[in-house]
Amino acid sequence: MKALILVGGFGTRLRPLTLSVPKPLVDFANKPMILHQIEALKAVGVTEVVLAINYQPEVMLNFLKEFEKKLEIKITCSQETEPLGTAGPLALARDKLIDDSGEPFFVLNSDVISEYPLKQMIEFHRGHGGEASIMVTKVDEPSKYGVVVMEETMGKVEKFVEKPKNFVGNKINAGIYLLNPSVLDRIELKPTSIEKEVFPEIAVENKLFAMVLPGFWMDIGQPKDYITGLRLYLDFLQKNSSSKLATGSNIIGNVLVHESAKIGDGCLIGPDVAIGPGCVIEPGVRLSRCTVMRGVRIKKHACISSSIIGWHSTIGRWARVENMTILGEDVHVADEVYSNGAVVLPHKEIKSSIVNPEIVM
Amino acid sequence: MEKVVAVIMVGGPTKGTRFRPLSFNTPKPLFPLAGQPMIQHPISACKRIPNLAQIFLIGFYEEREFALYVSSISNELKVPVRYLKEDKQHGSAGGLYYFRDMIMEENPSHIILLNCDVCCSFPLPDLLEAHKRYGGMGTMLVIKVSAESAHQFGELIADPNTKELLHYTEKPETFVSDLINCGVYVFTPDIFTAIQGVLTHREDRANIRQVSSFEAFQSATRTLPVDFVRLDQDILSPLAGKKQLYTYETMDFWEQIKTPGMSLKCSSLYLALFKITSPQLLASGNGITSATIAGDVYIHPSAKVHPTAKIGPNVSISANVRVGAGVRLISCIVLDDVEIKENAVVLNSIIGWKSSLGRWARVQGNGDYNAKLGITILGEAVTVEDEVVVINSIVLPNKVLNVSVQEEIIL
Repeated sequence: MKALILVGGFGTRLRPLTLSVPKPLVDFANKPMILHQIEALKAVGVTEVVLAINYQPEVMLNFLKEFEKKLEIKITCSQETEPLGTAGPLALARDKLIDDSGEPFFVLNSDVISEYPLKQMIEFHRGHGGEASIMVTKVDEPSKYGVVVMEETMGKVEKFVEKPKNFVGNKINAGIYLLNPSVLDRIELKPTSIEKEVFPEIAVENKLFAMVLPGFWMDIGQPKDYITGLRLYLDFLQKNSSSKLATGSNIIGNVLVHESAKIGDGCLIGPDVAIGPGCVIEPGVRLSRCTVMRGVRIKKHACISSSIIGWHSTIGRWARVENMTILGEDVHVADEVYSNGAVVLPHKEIKSSIVNPEIVM
Repeated sequence: MEKVVAVIMVGGPTKGTRFRPLSFNTPKPLFPLAGQPMIQHPISACKRIPNLAQIFLIGFYEEREFALYVSSISNELKVPVRYLKEDKQHGSAGGLYYFRDMIMEENPSHIILLNCDVCCSFPLPDLLEAHKRYGGMGTMLVIKVSAESAHQFGELIADPNTKELLHYTEKPETFVSDLINCGVYVFTPDIFTAIQGVLTHREDRANIRQVSSFEAFQSATRTLPVDFVRLDQDILSPLAGKKQLYTYETMDFWEQIKTPGMSLKCSSLYLALFKITSPQLLASGNGITSATIAGDVYIHPSAKVHPTAKIGPNVSISANVRVGAGVRLISCIVLDDVEIKENAVVLNSIIGWKSSLGRWARVQGNGDYNAKLGITILGEAVTVEDEVVVINSIVLPNKVLNVSVQEEIIL
């Protein structure tokens, strides 16, 4: 079985992290974002994944070689030379997605994190016998998104309504599709929107069905949602593979610690924290609701909450970092400094406190 | 025949965060001012020195970032220009010393030392003449600045008659003098002996310190590596008043190009200089067959500007730019491959490579070169849609602005 992951563009919403690596390679819960998806696909028997990209192919290709070997799955790139929207990339990758088997193929949006119940989706797709299946997820504020209006029993999709002013439903497109090869015949090689042009066409023919996504869903393409997403993901881990989470008297709630990270005495870590490879957390540190990327050193008595600390950064002694502070790669916060929501670009030193949210270039 | 060699210090990438977002694409020394890469201005000035044998660029950028440029400028000016990459930080004088064998290859009698991020008229032949008259080891270009701003630089005292350097302090906290160091020097090869002296002294102190650990805590230079030599603190300050160093004062303009905002100011200064030295480089237009030109304007030959546009003063347009009908450009730098559609207005801004400004778009800064957001900067490939206004903002590469913004940094 095959799959296409829509990786798309520059990841500007996740800057400054994406100034150092392309978005799919930004770590989430100690694993590159795209690896979560590739692993889920492999688990249901996908043998080839095509990444639809338009940016930094060299960096992606290097990463892929490493993971192709480890996961024993074929990974290729399909590179857009001009932006093709959300459907065009499928046409571009056509030859890679169709084979003689006639099997349907998955399409995933790379910004999405969820439980990936792909096996259930395959069964759902076989059950209704239609041309395309999409996952939808229930949200509190549907008007921010595109709402999928569907009939409840079979999940047959009636229509899509973009950012509806009045309530028409609370299910939105979760960015996970399972499509028959015939869908490719509906897509021309030009900038095309799958939600606005392709799916409505299939819906009219009563061949598009939606399955409500069980479990959590988050678009982690921006820092605030990334932090919320980590909470949901760790919660999921706790219910399904709690052995992966850290335990101990200095751990509160769900905490993920890489085996090569070191945590000193007198620390209090959690809830909802991920600590990456090679990190050093010195004694007396408090961490909550934050991600600490590879190679970071947090010095004694520091306190960090609701923030993301980028690769190889350091946080000084008694520093306090909170309220959506996002540090890029190689950022060094001096001792005793306070950061309230600073967004700091790579290779910087923060020597004095930042009391109001500010971008430091 | 007495040969002269020039050395230009170009710095390196990790130190250059102040030049963001423009430095994301291009090393600062290659950023264009008045249509020419920043480093070309001192290089062209060096060419005016008689018997110039070689030009060396010393920095931390990867060699490949300068490879194309040095090869093309060597061909164009018919003088060998070489880029030398420092393997680690040696300090402003240490770097010069590290490459002394190459610099002394052709046995030059004099060495011109320049900093790339200095914007001035580079009166090098006059500086060299003055140096020969004084007969010292080195002569530095100096300029008077306002008393309030002097503390940002190296302040110095010179003898009003002999012009000898009597006293030198780098970035003092209290006022010393309004005469400052321009970062342009001429030295005889004795400079290497002087640097060697500093290195030996450092080594000796390091050896002594190994004997007394108490002294190790006291030493202010303990944190500096043994082979790190700074020109200002380690050479100029100690040798002041010893009849070795002299000064030559320039009455022309002088600025340091530290931020993108300052690069716009310096581009204007160089355009004004071209008006005097190379007027054929500047654009002219009658508003009928070609665009109306006001003041000093540079337009690359491959750029296409609609005749109904009005350009200037202080505008610099790079290669393959397309300027549509009715556009007004004032005080700005427009980089390669930009497209500006009809009736757009740009004022006090820098428009990054491959960006696109929609019809009736307005991109504007308040013109305060020193303020963080005084000059609007659009990074590479930014799209400003029709009728959108961008004021006093900095926009990182690849963004699409479809609503107006003011006083913002957009990542």
